[in-house]
Amino acid sequence: MVVPTPEPSDEDLAALAAAGDDHAFEAIVRRYQGRVFRLAGRLTSETDAPDVLQDTFLQVHKHLPSFRGESRFSTWLYRIVTNASLMHRRARARRPAESLDAFLPAFDGAGTHCGTPAELRVVSQAEELIDRQVLAGKARDGLASLPDLYRDAFVLRDLEEMPTADVAEVLGIEPGAVRQRVHRARLMLRGYLQEFIGGQS
Amino acid sequence: MSEVACVSGVDLLMDYLEGVLPASTVAALEGHVAGCDRCQAFVASYRATPGIFRDATEASLPAALQSSLMARLRERRG
Repeated sequence: MVVPTPEPSDEDLAALAAAGDDHAFEAIVRRYQGRVFRLAGRLTSETDAPDVLQDTFLQVHKHLPSFRGESRFSTWLYRIVTNASLMHRRARARRPAESLDAFLPAFDGAGTHCGTPAELRVVSQAEELIDRQVLAGKARDGLASLPDLYRDAFVLRDLEEMPTADVAEVLGIEPGAVRQRVHRARLMLRGYLQEFIGGQS
Repeated sequence: MSEVACVSGVDLLMDYLEGVLPASTVAALEGHVAGCDRCQAFVASYRATPGIFRDATEASLPAALQSSLMARLRERRG
């Protein structure tokens, strides 16, 4: 009879890898490579994701001896991915991103929404109204135009679906600031899609 | 908190969905939204937004990239 060995925890593997155990390091890579790749793509682009993936694990290998277990290993790892992604975004000479400020919700003098209910609702019907591929392409463009400050918080909270407290720890900010940034991102991206879908449907 | 207009309701939306608003504010906000078809439409679209972006950016690591990553890491670690 084979007794299943319990999976070692991230922290156990990290301690072994920090002490020079290459198998433990590679086990960490295998455990997280898929998640790091997806996150890197969301924080940069499909093109840059492979480089961010590699940079991340090189950084992990280099800095593991200083990982003290004060935060969870995954939090520490996501901080490295977030920083590596920011470096890549900055290094890439981008065309100036389209400002999303124009897509924030608009109100009249009494503080009432300017759009009609049908206009305001259109985003929640996106998948019925717009070809999936077209919508996905537009969404990726919108994400790429999001200011850095909002993008990190939105990606971690809403796309990776991490709890707000964990996002706060990764970004080194208060939970209230995470909520504020994610809210701002949702408003901009919602309006961006509304304008696009309203013009297409 | 007594009066909620659409504009102040929108400001509260994230905190409302995260469950960090005081009960009296929740009641005022829900009271406004219940009687405002614009806000109902807005809230539905606000809630739908993250999922659209999540689906648009789903990605899995290609097998070829997995093996080249491991090879590159071995090389760089020396």
